[in-house]
Amino acid sequence: MLKIQEIRELIKLIDKSSIDEFKYENDGETILLKKNEVTVQAAEVAPTQVALAPQAVAPIAAPVAQPAPVAVQKTEAPQVEAPAQNDANLHKIESPMVGTFYASPTPDQAAYVAKGDKVSKDSIVCIVEAMKLFNEIEAEVNGEIVEILVENGQLVEYGQPLFLVKAE
Amino acid sequence: MGETMEGKSMRQHLLQLLMEQRGSFVSGQEISDELGCSRTAIWKHISELRKEGYVIDAVQRKGYQLMYAPNRVTEPEIKRHLQSTVLAKHIRYEESVKSTQEIAQRLSYEHCPEGTLVIADEQTGGRGRLGRSWQSPKGSGIWMSLILRPDIPLQKSPQLTLLAAVSVAKAIYKTTGMQAEIKWPNDILLNGKKAVGILTELQAESDRIHAVIIGIGINVNVAETEFDPSLRDIATSLKIEGNEDVNRAKLVACIMEEMETLYHEYLQNGFGLIKLLWEGYAESIGKRIRVRTLHEQKEGIAKGITEEGVLLLEDDLGEIHHIYSADIEIPGT
Repeated sequence: MLKIQEIRELIKLIDKSSIDEFKYENDGETILLKKNEVTVQAAEVAPTQVALAPQAVAPIAAPVAQPAPVAVQKTEAPQVEAPAQNDANLHKIESPMVGTFYASPTPDQAAYVAKGDKVSKDSIVCIVEAMKLFNEIEAEVNGEIVEILVENGQLVEYGQPLFLVKAE
Repeated sequence: MGETMEGKSMRQHLLQLLMEQRGSFVSGQEISDELGCSRTAIWKHISELRKEGYVIDAVQRKGYQLMYAPNRVTEPEIKRHLQSTVLAKHIRYEESVKSTQEIAQRLSYEHCPEGTLVIADEQTGGRGRLGRSWQSPKGSGIWMSLILRPDIPLQKSPQLTLLAAVSVAKAIYKTTGMQAEIKWPNDILLNGKKAVGILTELQAESDRIHAVIIGIGINVNVAETEFDPSLRDIATSLKIEGNEDVNRAKLVACIMEEMETLYHEYLQNGFGLIKLLWEGYAESIGKRIRVRTLHEQKEGIAKGITEEGVLLLEDDLGEIHHIYSADIEIPGT
């Protein structure tokens, strides 16, 4: 099963891309994402998951709220986030908690990292804050930032991928 | 300045000795045995303590007696009042530092024990949320950072900031009788003005907590004129509101005791009781508030907090928003 936030990321990336339709099948589970067409199709999958899918979809689609409605059918598509990237060697830096994502130490300072920057294991890449508790997130791998998946000031979920790093 | 660490720690040791035997004389011989230094050295340290404001009687053949201790937050002053077993067992006192958080961060990396407290008489670069500065004038506040190493899931760690706020509010009540209020998540207000700010930093590796460093700034005996004019409408101190000096060391000790009790409760039974207590002190539950985040602001009624400590805001359309980080204002104030 894909996690909710992974589906959310998937939707966002597809939404930003030029792909109109995305389908993924694995082990009897299907995920179908379509743009520019208002349809939410029912899933033909295992009964336990049928109930789950529509519930999971509604709150996800809402915050994205672009004029491009997305239909999600099912889950299970591990490495589809960045269509442009060959994902096999990409390390995901995930948020260890729910909170606000800050790209820089203070609003008037430069971002910790930008796309293309080299990072080492202990490089600080961002801050996640909740209830005035500030958590400086480290890269945890040596490599290069190839994608920043969230916006400054955005609320991020537990386990949500924040950066893709091409590990060395 | 230029004084060796050894000299400082010897003076603290001497002070501790005098405090333990307050009300009676401590002989020069006893001090010299305890500290392992000469009578001349003792005399030098006594003079230094007098310069710091201590009144010490010296009588031939009887020794030294502490008559008066100034309102300070040194280790012996705090320990005199302290009964907690883990928190503030180790105290690092500094006259003047940029930020106690920075020192605590470093000590934590150097594997200092849980409960280590860093406290300073003055901060020259104290800071708040989003890099805002925090005024920390000399001699009149409590500027401190406490290092905890809780064995809890990382995503629960923000709850500790609410726990800290409850501890401080309780200690203020016990020490001064003043009823403080908490503004979500952890600002402490007296008569609607901010008297305490709490900022917490996490040291973690992926999802494992190394340390939670709770920075607490309290305007204790800060005079109104010491505040920047731009802050006078929104900031206050315990002294301004209560019209009397508060013993800072006693308040620190009281906070540590309150926090130790709640921290044990939290580790054993979770957030339930802390939530109840927090709600008891909450300023804005049921009221109309404005929530300001980096990019937007929302207005609505503060409905309460979740079992995780997250603020629930009901907007005018009846939709409930979960607020994880924001500045809270009460419109019209």
